[in-house]
Amino acid sequence: MSYATLTQKRPLPLNLLISLFIILWVVLAAFPFFWTVWGSFKVEPDFFSRESWWNAIFGTYTQAQTGGTFTGDGYYGAWVTREFWRAVMNTAIVTVSVTVISLTLGTLGGYALARSGQRYAFWILIAALVFRAMPHITLVSGYLLPFFQLNIWGVLPTSIIVLVAINQPFTLWMLHSFFLSIPKDLDESAMVDGCTRFQAFRMVIIPVMWPGVVTTGLFSFLLAYNDFATTSMLLSADNQTMVPKISSFLGSVQEAGNVMYAVAAVVSATVPLFILVLFFQRQIVSGLTAGAVKG
Amino acid sequence: MAQIRLKNVSKRWNNFVGVDNFNLDIADQEFLVLLGPSGCGKTTTMRMIAGLEDITEGEIWIGDRLVNKLEPKDRDISMVFQSYGLYPNMTVYENIRFPLKVRKVPQDQHHERVMAASKMVELDDFLQRRPAALSGGQRQRVALARAIVREPNAFLMDEPLSNLDAKLRVSTRAQIKNLHHTLKRTTIYVTHDQIEAMTLADRVVVMSKGLIQQVGTPMEIYDRPANTFVASFIGSPAMNLVHGNIADGVFTGDKIRIEGLSKATNGAVTLGFRAEDATLAEGQGQIEAPIYSVELLGEATMISMRVAGELVSIKVGKDYRAEIGDSAKFNVPPAACHLFDRTSGARIVAD
Amino acid sequence: MPHKTFFAFILPSLIAMVLFIALPIVSVVVQSFHVEHQRVLVEVENCQPFGGCTTEVRVDTAAMAKIRAEQPMGMFNGLGTYFNRGHLAVAEVGAILSNNAGFGDAVSRIYNLPFYKALSFTLVFCFVVTPLAMVLGFTIALAVNAVPRAIKGPVIFFSLLPMIITPLIGSLILYWMIQSNGIIGATLQNIFDDPTLSLRQSPALTWGSLLFYGVWTNAPFSFVVFYAGLQTVPGDTLESAMIDGASRWERIRYVIIPHLAPLATFVALVQLMDNFRVFEPIVGFSAESNATSLSWLIFNDLSGDSQLFGSAGATSVITIIGVVILLSPVLVRTWREFNHKVV
Repeated sequence: MSYATLTQKRPLPLNLLISLFIILWVVLAAFPFFWTVWGSFKVEPDFFSRESWWNAIFGTYTQAQTGGTFTGDGYYGAWVTREFWRAVMNTAIVTVSVTVISLTLGTLGGYALARSGQRYAFWILIAALVFRAMPHITLVSGYLLPFFQLNIWGVLPTSIIVLVAINQPFTLWMLHSFFLSIPKDLDESAMVDGCTRFQAFRMVIIPVMWPGVVTTGLFSFLLAYNDFATTSMLLSADNQTMVPKISSFLGSVQEAGNVMYAVAAVVSATVPLFILVLFFQRQIVSGLTAGAVKG
Repeated sequence: MAQIRLKNVSKRWNNFVGVDNFNLDIADQEFLVLLGPSGCGKTTTMRMIAGLEDITEGEIWIGDRLVNKLEPKDRDISMVFQSYGLYPNMTVYENIRFPLKVRKVPQDQHHERVMAASKMVELDDFLQRRPAALSGGQRQRVALARAIVREPNAFLMDEPLSNLDAKLRVSTRAQIKNLHHTLKRTTIYVTHDQIEAMTLADRVVVMSKGLIQQVGTPMEIYDRPANTFVASFIGSPAMNLVHGNIADGVFTGDKIRIEGLSKATNGAVTLGFRAEDATLAEGQGQIEAPIYSVELLGEATMISMRVAGELVSIKVGKDYRAEIGDSAKFNVPPAACHLFDRTSGARIVAD
Repeated sequence: MPHKTFFAFILPSLIAMVLFIALPIVSVVVQSFHVEHQRVLVEVENCQPFGGCTTEVRVDTAAMAKIRAEQPMGMFNGLGTYFNRGHLAVAEVGAILSNNAGFGDAVSRIYNLPFYKALSFTLVFCFVVTPLAMVLGFTIALAVNAVPRAIKGPVIFFSLLPMIITPLIGSLILYWMIQSNGIIGATLQNIFDDPTLSLRQSPALTWGSLLFYGVWTNAPFSFVVFYAGLQTVPGDTLESAMIDGASRWERIRYVIIPHLAPLATFVALVQLMDNFRVFEPIVGFSAESNATSLSWLIFNDLSGDSQLFGSAGATSVITIIGVVILLSPVLVRTWREFNHKVV
């Protein structure tokens, strides 16, 4: 608080500089998204215009080709013609399952790690840290052969389990540090009051842990949602989720002159993230810093 | 009905010794206080009794059951934690009721017992609040109510007053004493505050570095400290300890000379006496030194002076007036002097 | 917590990690010691009524299938894959070092080996993007901390977007803008009056735009962490620095930066780790002809028609070793702290 009050006495030029810088950054951060959203309602010669980007703003060619300044052709092409909705469904299945399973395993494990002072608990955390740093694609190269042989390649459940596992190290670390912030007194008094360890966890700790679980869940969701390396290698073409679908889109639509399908698909995939940040900004920020404070 | 018996109990973490070979019998309905500075092993001892900490060696018996391997919930004890351990998502009522619920006490008894417990600690008006909406003292009473609602074999209390302000501490202390009187349960109470120990305990166990230093009633410990550690830990101010030599019943040191002590010991010793036992001297004084500080306490005046290198406190009447630097003279009656071995610190028994 | 309870709690998560992280690593290592079977060739004599006989060499698919079924891993190759031209290229590097026209020539020839090309981009990406993003993030944090409360929320909202966005999608969005017919690409062509100017054509421009993307997507994380750190700067210390006569800059230099230093180590490590696996932007920018990364090499080996598991395995193992080297300072520090805590 006092920091805020004492920095208010700033000279005008400095204030101007600060405002200018912030405006610049916000434009840098947000403009690409707005531009692409706007452009996704235009036709290709407008959005990708060599003549002048004013075309994209006024929709010159869009007007000429479709009769209106905005068009939903890109979306129709992507969602209906190219069946992007299937990918959306798959993404929904994958992300929801990954988040739920990750959290279930992660809360149990994170709780155990936070409450055990044993040496092996420490080693598990360190191993998790190394696993967390591993590029996912290196693991993928280990999955393919065994999955081919077991004949479980290409289907959603396999990807879900793999994503859950890849997610575990991060989930464990994050929940572990949230659990550490809950006083030990709480589970101990529950156990003295007559609970087993698991009852104490379920009846006393979890109700208090909700904020931490929600925050961690957000990041699990993001990991599953944003994944490209794993899902693009492990899912067959029929079962693709949004991100690999867009990538495989890209090659084929460019040849067919339907880049706008890809643009529309990209915008569609961005919308859920927008909503997520809109509603969970506070949790995301607290999640990022929770990790940081605990180092 | 529960006596608690600890036999050769030890707790070690790798090379660190938390509690070393602890032996104690706690009688049924006794109020026992474990007293010592932080890190002395008192909390660890209590947590071993509660089952929250593994026992490295030894046996703990509650009643006639060996409880070493029992889960906390199976030991039939209840505990009040230093930071209370209240369940923040439950109301006061639900907090107090929780032990009954998880122990499957018949539903129809719940309400009656919760109300009885909350009445005992005067919480009736707050039952529907959550812990976050309570003051420190109220939270403390919720913790107490939760402990007594079940009528267990024994109560364990881990520094329950340390998070309260000074005034509240006095009244809650009285409340705990009264509860013990009413409920007549074995109570083990951990504290680092010697005043709490003196006021509450039937017996006090003074601990340091994982070892029992002395076990006794508050008066025994105050009047006959077993060693210099106990002497310097009990009493406010703590006992004055002065290094010197004794020969032929005469103790001598820098600015101090006391005659008429026991002739049984000769050589280097530590002499102890309490601030209130010294008296102003007329003419020749046994202690004679310039005054270092003068503090008015209201009912008395505390002055301090440097004797044999140590700062010594002496309590005098409230009308006593002196300036810093003035020379002052005092006598200490030989009967009020305690002698300790200089190296081991153990009390030298004079007879 | 008793051992039994501990393992009961952690078992599901442990099983998942062992099965899908630890075992795959083992599998990757084993694969890296194998190569694909050589094709079994048979000579087939093909006689036609009038044209005489020709012999033709064909792949014996039946025999191949049999060998594959017997040894799905392929042939044992020892460290061969590691040293071949596609990876560490020991022989080629040796030849270049013993016979080259000066330092520059040697460097550029080594750079042209696929593994070293990928390694250099990966490292440059790591060590350029991380500090730049941290500096930018810190500056944004300072600036945001200075604006009125009402503006902070929206600024933070927009700042989060580049970080939260799916990497592939984020890079596509930027790529479409900097393409020669996208808004930025076209504008640049106009400004420099050079219709052939394209960020894709020259390696330097491609690297530049990838690095720009990296900073764009990494800065928000530093910003958020530093911003949170700024809220915990002790007001007393700042005020006493003011009374002691420290200027605005000196207060940042001597109070704020030291206070945030531990956070900075954390941010640097997380971002180094994440940037080391840089992969999606290369796909998104279709930049593979000018810039590749270790992760991209693995992806490329695996996604071709003939999946080169041995080659992918070798690159993966080298990458994993790189990660461990990168992490070693943290591991050592954590280990020391842990020992401190116990004793």
